Amino acid sequence: MKIKERRCDGVAILDMSGKLMGGPDADAFSETLKTLVHEGFRNVIVNMEKVSWVNSTGLGILISGYSTLRKSGGELKLLKVSERIENIFIVSKLHTVFQSFQDEEEAVRSFA
Amino acid sequence: MQYLGVPDAVLMEIGSDLGCCRRALEDLGSAVIEACTNAMEHGNRLEDDKDIEIIFEIDFPRIVVTVLDHGSGFDFKGWKPPDELMRRRGRGILIMREFTDVMEFDHHQDGRFLIRLTKILDPAPEDDDDASGQPS
Repeated sequence: MKIKERRCDGVAILDMSGKLMGGPDADAFSETLKTLVHEGFRNVIVNMEKVSWVNSTGLGILISGYSTLRKSGGELKLLKVSERIENIFIVSKLHTVFQSFQDEEEAVRSFA
Repeated sequence: MQYLGVPDAVLMEIGSDLGCCRRALEDLGSAVIEACTNAMEHGNRLEDDKDIEIIFEIDFPRIVVTVLDHGSGFDFKGWKPPDELMRRRGRGILIMREFTDVMEFDHHQDGRFLIRLTKILDPAPEDDDDASGQPS
């Protein structure tokens, strides 16, 4: 998995690509969020457009990130989740936790 | 772990040949990825010298995928879905169960633990742009 960072209107956007499946991915994602929080970015959008699939370990990575940001007074939201990954969120009921958007501007505005 | 996508790619290739519904194939792929994740993490405990074996059996529209590992297995008869929504682990079995028609746990005669996943694949509609083999 690769992570690219952008900033937009005080919101950090993480463009993810590849497969979200645990192992080194967990450390990379956690470190990225810790750095963002340290820099004052507590609201984060995870862009899943180029993520081909997520396994249960990958779900755990997102949950961990969500909890980290909530403890810091911020939030983690998802962008452009594919139908395949959305199905995994639905069966695990995590679609009730993560706010998800298909439009980036709308996702950024949702933090206002 | 970096090869977890291989069985999924194999399934997509098989589905491309069979012309079946992409959604059903992706669901099965997600279940197989979970089975392999379980096999590596819990069965083989991420030990590099232990392999997993994946067997694909196709009798269209039925496809059966069996994943074998070197672990002792777990008490699958007593398994219940965990009820804590924000738990970080423990969704693998749930995903396998929801995305397949039959999920079985057993021991191979050689002692290895196995997960057998069965899915009945619907043929793709003739005008279905969603047919397997197309980029998602």
